[in-house]
Amino acid sequence: MSTEILVEATGLGKSYPRVFRRSDRLRALLRLLWGHRTVDAEPVLRDVDLVVCRGQSLGLIGENGAGKSTLLKLLSGVLTPTRGRVVVRGRVGALLELGAGFHPEYTGRENIALAAALAGMTAAELAERLAQIIEFADIGRYIDEPIKHYSSGMVVRLGFALVAAQRPDLLITDEVLAVGDESFQKKCIRWMEDYLATGGTLILVSHSMYHIQKLCSRALWLREGAVEAAGEAGAVCQAYLAYHERKQAADSQPVRRGAAPAGLEFHVISLRLGNGQTGQSSSVAQGDDLRVQAELHSRDGRVPGVHVSIVRADGTPIFGINSDMDGVQPRRSEAGDFAIGLRFRRLPLLPGSYNVRVHALDPEGLRLFDTVEAPLTVAGRGRELGMISLDHVWEDALPVQQPLPQQGAAA
Amino acid sequence: MALSSTLQVALHFARRDFHNRYLGSFSGGLWALLQPLLQLAVYAFVFVQIFRQRVPGADAPGYVPFLVAAMWPWTAFAESLQRGSVAIQEHAGLIGKVPVPRLALVAAPVIASFSVHGMGYAVIVLLLSLLGSGVDPLGLLVALPMMLVLMAFALGLVLLLSTLQVFVRDIASALPQLLMLWMFLSPVMYSREMAPERFRALIDANPMSAFAGIFRWALLHQPAPQTAALAWASLWLAAAVASGVFVFRRLQRHVEDFL
Repeated sequence: MSTEILVEATGLGKSYPRVFRRSDRLRALLRLLWGHRTVDAEPVLRDVDLVVCRGQSLGLIGENGAGKSTLLKLLSGVLTPTRGRVVVRGRVGALLELGAGFHPEYTGRENIALAAALAGMTAAELAERLAQIIEFADIGRYIDEPIKHYSSGMVVRLGFALVAAQRPDLLITDEVLAVGDESFQKKCIRWMEDYLATGGTLILVSHSMYHIQKLCSRALWLREGAVEAAGEAGAVCQAYLAYHERKQAADSQPVRRGAAPAGLEFHVISLRLGNGQTGQSSSVAQGDDLRVQAELHSRDGRVPGVHVSIVRADGTPIFGINSDMDGVQPRRSEAGDFAIGLRFRRLPLLPGSYNVRVHALDPEGLRLFDTVEAPLTVAGRGRELGMISLDHVWEDALPVQQPLPQQGAAA
Repeated sequence: MALSSTLQVALHFARRDFHNRYLGSFSGGLWALLQPLLQLAVYAFVFVQIFRQRVPGADAPGYVPFLVAAMWPWTAFAESLQRGSVAIQEHAGLIGKVPVPRLALVAAPVIASFSVHGMGYAVIVLLLSLLGSGVDPLGLLVALPMMLVLMAFALGLVLLLSTLQVFVRDIASALPQLLMLWMFLSPVMYSREMAPERFRALIDANPMSAFAGIFRWALLHQPAPQTAALAWASLWLAAAVASGVFVFRRLQRHVEDFL
């Protein structure tokens, strides 16, 4: 992989002016004419720095309205930045919105001509590639019909065919490929993999962490217009997913994390997590031991039961166990309270964010009195998907002969 | 984007504009010629038959060739201003979706209007000279390059108006009336000599006077326009192009935020 820098953005920002009344427009006009660079504006993107070298692929993730599309538009030159600067070297192929730049009244062929001119293709280049574009789009006689008669899938086909014909150095695409039918999607993915394998550079916006991790080596997470995290694709995706899970959990059941309520028959005094080495840590490496230690209080001195569970950050249960299931009970401490510990050996959880919950039960293990939760981060660089690493062995399989480019295995 | 590819995109948009207006209609491309011809017929009827208007002078041309010489360029000019002033606003759907040079969007309607009416002009001049109405077809060698100068004037104004239109939407609505006023204030349907003495200085200050004068001088061998008129026209032309380029360059990166 060469280190030729294709895209370089520094302090990139975009603001939209606050224009409510007609007089605002006039005031903005006068200010801009006078030479003021900015007017009263609402920032939608702030201080984005990024560098993409030739052959790299960058995924952009984030919630709706986080500024992903705005960033793509700044990079592809559709919009001009309010702040900072962006330098893009080489031919850019952009596939941003469904049917962007196509005029519904014109035929596919006529739209190809204008789009090619906009992409900077000369008439000679277009003549040479027209047949190839039409063949790739593969929409038959519709090529001579107005675009307004097209299905959305056909529009995407035409758009993708145009971009493919440009042989871009940098491909910038939003999540538009999802519209095409199965065979066309395969064709696109094949083209994309071929493109990446031959040194193509990709910037992709997607809500599918699967696609991001599969196609991109690096990712950038935008949140409310600013970079929240950037780096290796897997790690950024995990952080992003965990953020979502926490956000969902915050909307659902309230779980106590602090001081114990008074007056309960049994309650949890404290909960501590630790890995194999240290006593207290909320972060554990994948495959390392996890230790859960809890202190409980009993109002009338009876020995409480304990339930320990691990849930995903959004509350999905993964594993739970009662002390009485294994025929154990907490040990009485000197202060008259109770303590118990639980060790998960070689934790098989995949990297991500989880919560550990400890519940105080009655001695019979029937009634639940109190719940305390602590966040747990499992760290790791594994590429497996899901929550738990299952023991597995491939059979009837051979080692891969040729080194595949990047992560580009067949879909 | 380089200027050559901007021009290429502008030509695409101009061609598209032309297709839009004429090829969809029944009379097709003929309409481009038909429309100013009809307009000319109306004026000829009103001025020649009703008002009994004649061009003064001993070997003066007929009123119809007199009208043709200045009316056709004016039509191209006025039309490009009207269509050009909304060019950026009209393409709001394109700006913000694909990288399109704003200059191409603005230049396209000007190019389209001037090429359509430039061709119509040439055809009607050749037709009139064949009919023996005293029009010199060789005058086109001056008149057509002069159309290019008028086009530069139009482009300057369109750069200014289309950019301002994004911020102040009243411009396009006021423009037809202003252009009508401008036409009647210009020696398009009359000559400078037909106007009362006290208005002549005012007429000379109108940039259209010099243009109309040059077209009539070239095609009809009328006296050349006054030096004052030529000076005024040059001044207006320079002012239009300079202010258009200045405002467009200063604001073009901001128009996307106000569409």
